[in-house]
Amino acid sequence: MLVLGFCLAIAAAFFFSIRAGRTARRMHWRNESIQPWMSVPFVAHTHHTRSEVLFEAIHVPPNPRDRRPIRDIAREEKLPVAELIRQLRAAIASNEATPPSGQAP
Amino acid sequence: MIEQLLAALTHYGSPALFVVVAIAALGAPLPVTLLLIITGSLATQGAINVWLAFVIAAAGSVAGDQVGYAVGRWGGRKLVARFTGVLGDAEQIKKLDAKAKSWGGAGVFFSRWLVTPLGPWINLASGAAGYSWLQFTLWDLIGESLGAALYIWLGHVFSDRVQEVGAILGDLGWAILGLLAAAFLGWKLFFNRTTSSTRP
Repeated sequence: MLVLGFCLAIAAAFFFSIRAGRTARRMHWRNESIQPWMSVPFVAHTHHTRSEVLFEAIHVPPNPRDRRPIRDIAREEKLPVAELIRQLRAAIASNEATPPSGQAP
Repeated sequence: MIEQLLAALTHYGSPALFVVVAIAALGAPLPVTLLLIITGSLATQGAINVWLAFVIAAAGSVAGDQVGYAVGRWGGRKLVARFTGVLGDAEQIKKLDAKAKSWGGAGVFFSRWLVTPLGPWINLASGAAGYSWLQFTLWDLIGESLGAALYIWLGHVFSDRVQEVGAILGDLGWAILGLLAAAFLGWKLFFNRTTSSTRP
């Protein structure tokens, strides 16, 4: 029984260490996923985008103090959460593709 | 459930933080580490005051821990007394109590910020073992303050990577717990082998 417990504990430590290492490696190149609990300024911060751009993309008056979660905005706008997240992703992608003003494309 | 908690934190800030950390300290399986990391990120964004968040996180956790300790102290001892025959004789229970008291400070301190899944159980065990309330509170306060400061700071540093950092820390916590369990069981195995080999 003790040997079984010992082996299980070693296996658990190994499994969770490997998983933590994998997540750490992925962190460098993958953007944070957009979740329904996030507010628009939160998404803007994690994706290095201006919050006004994202508010405009989802047709909500820009307000950096608007801390409503995306799912609440979706409910008020009578839109599915997935659709709102899709709009935000599209706005982030197009913002990333647009070069800063004054530079050649 | 977890999503609702995170939404409440993003929307309401510090009051939501206090309620969640206090409930988690009672033993509810809530992602407090992730919550503190998100708090650090919110502080970086200017949505929350970092010092207020630190005080509220530490105070909420300590409040929950105190309830856990009180339940163990007044409810746990009665249970131990009732099951003394099942758990072992009175002499064995006394020995276990003494062991819990001697390891009390370190157990309380490390379970506040390093092996957090053990926290609520250590609260109950400390109360049931009759560990000094003053010492429990002192180690609890130091451990919870360190935990709140550490995870809020990590959230500040990795403010755009909160979910990944939360997942890594959660996994590392379980890995450390696994290593501790392996060390304990390994020591038990070694002790059992040496005593059986020296027996005539």
